[in-house]
Amino acid sequence: MTAFFDYLLGGIGSGAVIALLAIALVLTWRSTRIVNFAQVGQAMATTFVALAVRDASGSWVLGLAAALVAGAILGLIVQALILKPVRRMDTSGAIIATFGVLISLQAAAAMIWGGSPQPFGPPIANAGLEVFGHVWPISWYDILIIAVTALLVIGLGLLLTRTSVGLAMRASAFNPEVARLSGVRVGRMLGLGWAIAGVVGAVAGVLIAPSATLAPNSFDIFLVFAFTAAVLGGLDSLVGAVFFGVGTGVVLSLVTGYSDSSSAPVVVLVLLAVSLILKPEGLFGRGKARAV
Amino acid sequence: MLEITDVTVTYGAVRALENVSLTVPAGAVTAVIGANGAGKSTLMRTIAGLVKPASGSVALNGEGITNLRPEDIVRAGVVLVPEGRSTIPELTVDENLDLGGLWRDKAARKASKDEACELFPILADRRRSRADTLSGGERQQLAIGRALMCAPTCLLLDEPSLGLAPLIVTQILELVRRLSVEANLAVLLVEQNAVTALRVASHGVVLNLGRVVMEGPAEQIAAHDELRHAYLGY
Repeated sequence: MTAFFDYLLGGIGSGAVIALLAIALVLTWRSTRIVNFAQVGQAMATTFVALAVRDASGSWVLGLAAALVAGAILGLIVQALILKPVRRMDTSGAIIATFGVLISLQAAAAMIWGGSPQPFGPPIANAGLEVFGHVWPISWYDILIIAVTALLVIGLGLLLTRTSVGLAMRASAFNPEVARLSGVRVGRMLGLGWAIAGVVGAVAGVLIAPSATLAPNSFDIFLVFAFTAAVLGGLDSLVGAVFFGVGTGVVLSLVTGYSDSSSAPVVVLVLLAVSLILKPEGLFGRGKARAV
Repeated sequence: MLEITDVTVTYGAVRALENVSLTVPAGAVTAVIGANGAGKSTLMRTIAGLVKPASGSVALNGEGITNLRPEDIVRAGVVLVPEGRSTIPELTVDENLDLGGLWRDKAARKASKDEACELFPILADRRRSRADTLSGGERQQLAIGRALMCAPTCLLLDEPSLGLAPLIVTQILELVRRLSVEANLAVLLVEQNAVTALRVASHGVVLNLGRVVMEGPAEQIAAHDELRHAYLGY
């Protein structure tokens, strides 16, 4: 039974990171109805930026700050330069274009930073905490990740529901034409949505790095996890993304604990497939409802 | 005053509007009537900047607005309430109202909101309800309320009567007429239902296959039998 709780706890930290990436996917989906598969590529690139700045300055915090800025800029660039023109032709084309962006980013990263994995250690202790004579599978670093995720979710929630900018962003996502006819600069709002998603993805990247090492394709598997979490949460809901993000982390941890780590991704994919078969509106619910 | 001069709009090879000119004076309702496919909605969408004309111009009080983006046309004072009760169902009544005129300062928006709620009391009563829980008539009031939040000098109403009970249509249009006089608003009302539209309008324009076939005082058009038979089919 202790083992079960250990596995459960151990999954929360990695689940929080998956939740962050899932939130980034939800944000781009909400603002432009595009699933941005390049999100992990953007997170990978900004994490390389963080690594470079950290190594140059010696400060992890400066590295993170650089990643945030790079994330916002990269999000804007991907949205404005690639998706806007492609989208004019067709939406599924835009989703495929995000795969193109992912592959391009990985190729560019391999050329700039090389293809071999580089270590990117955590800023604080990543060893299990010892409380009441038991070493729990949760570290100060996990607690940092959970706190950052919680703060970001609360902050984003407040931004979207309590501010004028948030109202303009939501309206632009729900109905761009009505938003435009109310005087909202919709193009800017969509760009802002992608920039914020880029920032959230950048945070996720820097936080994942210690558990994955950093290489051009080392975050790929997190795309699968985050996409699963976002889809299970209905793709539209921040709360859903967090709930299923953490849930996915816990499932991964339990499967890894009771069998082995190689079967964990398969279990997640099976979960995704089953949920899509049983409840496809998790993925397309809003689209259907809106078509009526 | 809104002036539309020689506007031509083409969709591919189809001419949706051909050299349409009309004037919408402040302080009155001008009705554009015509059968389905006459180009009424295209006219509205062109004025609002959603459709760009092949030639011609639109000006508000002498200032050209033809080449502005839709959101800047709204900020210039020309606000369209599009066809089909254009509220956002996922947002509350309050949020739908707040969406209008977000660029204006807080005090001005508060004043506009109080005015809108006074004009349409139902909006104040249902503040926190989601817009999709409102009836059709209430949603139309909400859509017009949101347009008023943008502090318009010219209000464009595209088929507000669509799918509404006649009594509610009469009430809403009477409020719009009163508003045009009290706030010195230039109102352009597009309607398939000519009788209702001409009742509140002071001026009428008949559109057929993208051309203006007649214009004049509303009562004159309402009384014109041949015209009714030829273009409006009743």
